[in-house]
Amino acid sequence: MAVIELHDVVKTFGATRALDHLDLTVEQGEVHGFLGPNGAGKSTAIRVLLGLLRTDSGVASMLGGDPWRDAATLHRRLAYVPGDVSLWPNLSGGEVIDVLARMRGGLDEARRQQMLERFDLDPTKKARTYSKGNRQKVALVAALASRADLYLLDEPTSGLDPLMEAEFQEAVLELKDEGATILLSSHILAEAEALSDRISIIRAGRVVQSGTLAELRHLTRTTVIAETDRPATQLASVPGVHEPELHGNRVTFDVDSDHLDEAVRALSGLGVRSLAAHPPTLEELFLRQYGDEVTA
Amino acid sequence: MRTTPATSSVTGVGHLLRLILRRDRVRLPLWLVGLGGSIVASALAVPPLYDTPEKVAGYARTVGASPVSYLMSGRQVGLDTLGGIVANEISQVAQLGVCLMVVFLVVRHTRAEEESGRAELLRSTVLGRHAATLAGLVYGVTAALLLGAITSISMLAAGLPAGGSLTYGVGLALLGVAYTAITLVAVQISTSARGALGLAGAAVAVGYLVRGIGAMQDNALVWLSPFGWAQGMNAFGDERWWPALILLVFTALLLWLAARLMAHRDFGGGLIATRPGPARAGRLLDTPFGLATRLQRGLLVGWAVGLFLLGVLYGAVIPTVPDLIESNPEMADVVGASGQAAEDALVDAFLGYIYLFMAVIACGFVVASVLRLRAEEEAGRAEVVLATPVSRTSWMAATTTLALVAAVALTVLMGLGLAVGYGIGSGEWDQVLTQVAGQLAYLPGTLVVGALAAALYGLLPRGTGIAWAAVALIALQVVLGQLLGLPDAVQAISPFWHLAAVPVDDFEIVPYATLVLIAGALVAAGLWGYRRRDAVAG
Repeated sequence: MAVIELHDVVKTFGATRALDHLDLTVEQGEVHGFLGPNGAGKSTAIRVLLGLLRTDSGVASMLGGDPWRDAATLHRRLAYVPGDVSLWPNLSGGEVIDVLARMRGGLDEARRQQMLERFDLDPTKKARTYSKGNRQKVALVAALASRADLYLLDEPTSGLDPLMEAEFQEAVLELKDEGATILLSSHILAEAEALSDRISIIRAGRVVQSGTLAELRHLTRTTVIAETDRPATQLASVPGVHEPELHGNRVTFDVDSDHLDEAVRALSGLGVRSLAAHPPTLEELFLRQYGDEVTA
Repeated sequence: MRTTPATSSVTGVGHLLRLILRRDRVRLPLWLVGLGGSIVASALAVPPLYDTPEKVAGYARTVGASPVSYLMSGRQVGLDTLGGIVANEISQVAQLGVCLMVVFLVVRHTRAEEESGRAELLRSTVLGRHAATLAGLVYGVTAALLLGAITSISMLAAGLPAGGSLTYGVGLALLGVAYTAITLVAVQISTSARGALGLAGAAVAVGYLVRGIGAMQDNALVWLSPFGWAQGMNAFGDERWWPALILLVFTALLLWLAARLMAHRDFGGGLIATRPGPARAGRLLDTPFGLATRLQRGLLVGWAVGLFLLGVLYGAVIPTVPDLIESNPEMADVVGASGQAAEDALVDAFLGYIYLFMAVIACGFVVASVLRLRAEEEAGRAEVVLATPVSRTSWMAATTTLALVAAVALTVLMGLGLAVGYGIGSGEWDQVLTQVAGQLAYLPGTLVVGALAAALYGLLPRGTGIAWAAVALIALQVVLGQLLGLPDAVQAISPFWHLAAVPVDDFEIVPYATLVLIAGALVAAGLWGYRRRDAVAG
């Protein structure tokens, strides 16, 4: 059964439509990457799941309950890292971690200690003296130190250095091994690529693509670089091939993934000397998704 | 090579001022219209009320010579003229108003900006070290001068002498200038905007009380307070300008101090260093109520100490109230009795006003306390708590309960303060129950105001400022309601207007219980609304 199920959800703030018939499904035990540029509606969707925002229409369910009606009950099984971490300035980091964990219903002492060490965080500092990255660490430790079925992480690594980011990735994979479900919103593509089982790309309040990385790649182009005995002058006429660039015997082109076969046949007819092809990185997926919109 | 224009420590102050005016294009006019409007209305209301020489002369001997008047407005000269009467009637609103205005405006654009990190962004541009302080100074001074001008003009419009009108307006403006300087020192000391507000606010309270006590006892204490200096210019009497010089020298010294402190501290730092905290949370923090208590610890302690001391001071002057009858026999006619009965009546009237005044001040606490909910929501911290199994009802109920319970405790504390002060002043220590009961007689008004803030938070979160407007209106009703001859329908907006004026009148249970029920209903409505609305600031 799906842990998170948003169907046709609409949420407006005045004239702004933050969620525009959003559909999102997150299955039990998966790390689900929730990708989109700033202002796409990622945080709004997460706040709907937290029962902080009331939807205008559509169906939302989380952990088998109604996120609005059963908010407090559902939150026993959930941990959250906000995108923009604000802490009580006169409490120490350690106090904030304890406050949130106890309100959630207790924390795992060993894990608290382990996370503090892992993220190299001094819990005695007052929150007002923490840097942005350290505030983020407090929120991460508070969430990761409690045992939950579902983790809602809203751009959790913003402000962390690469070393801490690596620690974070390791911690997420451990949670996944324990069977937890994780919704990871991000605009850092490498992070989602490294962690996610499935990915949803959101733009202007709407999920525009959703699937496993493999599925998403299937929808997209592959970049091919080849050297042939005879120049590949006729390549432009092969269906699905885009913008071939010919430099002597060397050709570079993009091909729609479902026309790869035809393209490779056309090349082999010319005598292939070398062939390199790579699937699009998430970066390229992303650029296409939004790049097209930008030019349109 | 491009030549770089020379910069000074105040480079960029013009840009800052334009930014301030843009951000406060509603806020500053609101302060000026609110305070100025009250002053204009009062100035214009006096002449028709005192339309015969007998009435004017009577004012000087009765209202103007009452203990409440001395304590709240000081010893105003020229009370046998219309000008003196106007000055005496408006001074509480005008003097406290100008001080609070500059304190709030200056902290908002100096320490609050620095604490939020927005000032850091600005400091990264071409901006001198002292530019922000100077911008705060210019802004505070401008606001004070504008209010002084409004006051002078409204006095002239009421047909008062030009010399007195000008002197009074200048004194008022310079009082605001002096408190601008005090605030600029406070924002160097504290690292938080709330702390700076507390320090500067305490300085206002101390200045006001010192002048009041000095005026009651008619001694030199008044010369230790900026309020006393401003009043010492003797507007509408034998006007003199040298007290203005004291205000200016005092201001200059404080500005020098603020500049020194600013030059020697780190950006974001203060004189009070942030100490490390505990690595683990104590048991207190296990519940939303405990967390709310911890978050409001500073607010609670500050108000408790302040209101208790206020009670002690007022209590200490109670025993001196009857002396005023001896020095002014006509006072007995006013209270309609003689001998012991007259003394008792005068003390009762004094007490009634003090109870009411302190209960209205406590409204400031209860609104600030309830509206911490709004601050938590705007900062995104409520979101983190609500993402735990803590329900909305228990989160909001925790803070609201804390605010209302604290209002009860503060009321008891004020009563205790009065009894302790009375004991110090008279040597008699038997007033505890009387004073606590008397102060408690005004509690429901404070509770209703707090509950209104809770209702607004739940139902109309963007309109929580209305709760502050209500506090301001109630204060105006208490101070100026009679003078302005407001119709009952308007006065009835203040919950305090419905309560029996203990100890002058006998306690009445019906309005008391009704107000408590109304407070309960308002809180319930707020909780109902909060469960239904979006819980994210928008």
